[in-house]
Amino acid sequence: MKIAVISCIHGNYEALNAVLSDIDTRQVDRIYCLGDLVGYGPQPNEVVAMIRSLDIPTCQGCWDEDIVEGLNACDCSYPSVLAEKRGRLAHEWTNQAIAPEVREYLAQLPVSLRHENLCFVHGSPHNQHEYLLPEMDAFAAMERVLATNADILFCGHTHIPYVRSLDGGQLQIRVQQEGQVPVQSLSFSTPLKRIVNAGSVGEPRHGRPNATYVIYDTDSDRVTLREVEYDYHKTCAAIIERGLPPIFAWRLARGLEFAERADDPTHICER
Amino acid sequence: MRKITLVAGSPGAGKTNWIRQHVSRLDRAAYLNLGSGAVPVDGTYLASELPQLTVLSEEQLALLQEPTFVEYPIYIELGFHLDLKSLVFPVRIGNYCRVAVISPDADASEWHDWADTIVSGANAKVNLAVPHLWRSVLTGEVLDWASLQTFWYELIHGAYGKVRRAKGIFDVADGRSLSFNFVAGLAESDSIELDLPLWSVGRPDRFSGIELVGEQLDERAISETLQDCCLDDAAIAYYQQQIQAFLVEEEEGAR
Repeated sequence: MKIAVISCIHGNYEALNAVLSDIDTRQVDRIYCLGDLVGYGPQPNEVVAMIRSLDIPTCQGCWDEDIVEGLNACDCSYPSVLAEKRGRLAHEWTNQAIAPEVREYLAQLPVSLRHENLCFVHGSPHNQHEYLLPEMDAFAAMERVLATNADILFCGHTHIPYVRSLDGGQLQIRVQQEGQVPVQSLSFSTPLKRIVNAGSVGEPRHGRPNATYVIYDTDSDRVTLREVEYDYHKTCAAIIERGLPPIFAWRLARGLEFAERADDPTHICER
Repeated sequence: MRKITLVAGSPGAGKTNWIRQHVSRLDRAAYLNLGSGAVPVDGTYLASELPQLTVLSEEQLALLQEPTFVEYPIYIELGFHLDLKSLVFPVRIGNYCRVAVISPDADASEWHDWADTIVSGANAKVNLAVPHLWRSVLTGEVLDWASLQTFWYELIHGAYGKVRRAKGIFDVADGRSLSFNFVAGLAESDSIELDLPLWSVGRPDRFSGIELVGEQLDERAISETLQDCCLDDAAIAYYQQQIQAFLVEEEEGAR
């Protein structure tokens, strides 16, 4: 069975359309979406309408959550004062632009999805705002996967696709209750676990404007990272036409994040 | 006898750098930049690099006649946008020599006709039919360092118009004063920390500002983005607490 995993569309309808067309050519059986349907991009309502029309199982992203519950970005997200101001502006624009039924839809999205030994989240199993960067501490990464009881954890949020295999893990647990002997200890080896990041459909951070997503083949246990070109000029034009900051269009054309970026793999989200 | 050197040339060719190289060999000298207006980026940079240099503002041009400066070698840098043919000094400065610092592959220009000496400068690509000059004073502002880096990257890569020459001096959150410099056609360089004390109390009253030369500059977007990079009073106070603590530690360590 082939599963396509898309994430972080951010109101970029042109990119989503191109990715879905690409998926159509890949004999994919099912699509999962890891959230952030809205935010920064100029077509949030159109994106949600498309996702809903295809009945794509979707989990709630950080932007989806912020639109529903109010902006509450943590220190994980913004690398600068300028980025934070741009993020706030994008949030206010999106908040004004989305239709009531879209807000209701985003509110009812689950935080995670499950298919057999696969788990799908936006940021991490602990919250939508936590970045699982490829260089994060291996023990912390393993903990995130083990917390889901899955073998493969699909995530988004970083906007840069990657596959990370966690093998050879040895865990030792020692418990000593106060005043009691002996110490209880337990050790076990962890089986192979993987974290697969689907990248971003609508807001690339890899230096090119192209959309990225992944395909996982359950039969061959193979992950394929896909990069899809689309007419980003149309999205850029829509950004300007709909009153979003022109700098967003400039950055999209260069495959740069609009504002948010995580670059500290040691940072632990405290939300 | 006092020597006065007028230095002109295309933007980015290296006028200020040529002056710096010459003054660095002297015990004392005076410098004045005609055309810098209220944004003395070059003068501020030179003053921090060369303690033996006295930097005068345009309004202080008359001081060059004072006995104090009789024995000083004097360098007067002329902004690229000044009309050399109609340049008239408001005060009598005496005899002078004319040096033009020009890019090696520059076409014949008024600088060639004007100069007594032509110096081959940097291979800058700042040929503009109708250059758009934009400046802003930022004195008193403290900028978030990461925001400034983002803004500068966007600026020199064309997000706000075709910038061919950019120079600025900025006060940042950790108290430093930084000099940024960009010339189209030359390799990008990192910012330089000016040899000035860390600013640790209140808004700085030393000069900071930016000057751009290019085409189709989106002045409003540039101005707004710069404003978005600035810290408010509360943030400045927060960072300055840390600077003060650092300075106290340094002082105690030095004892």
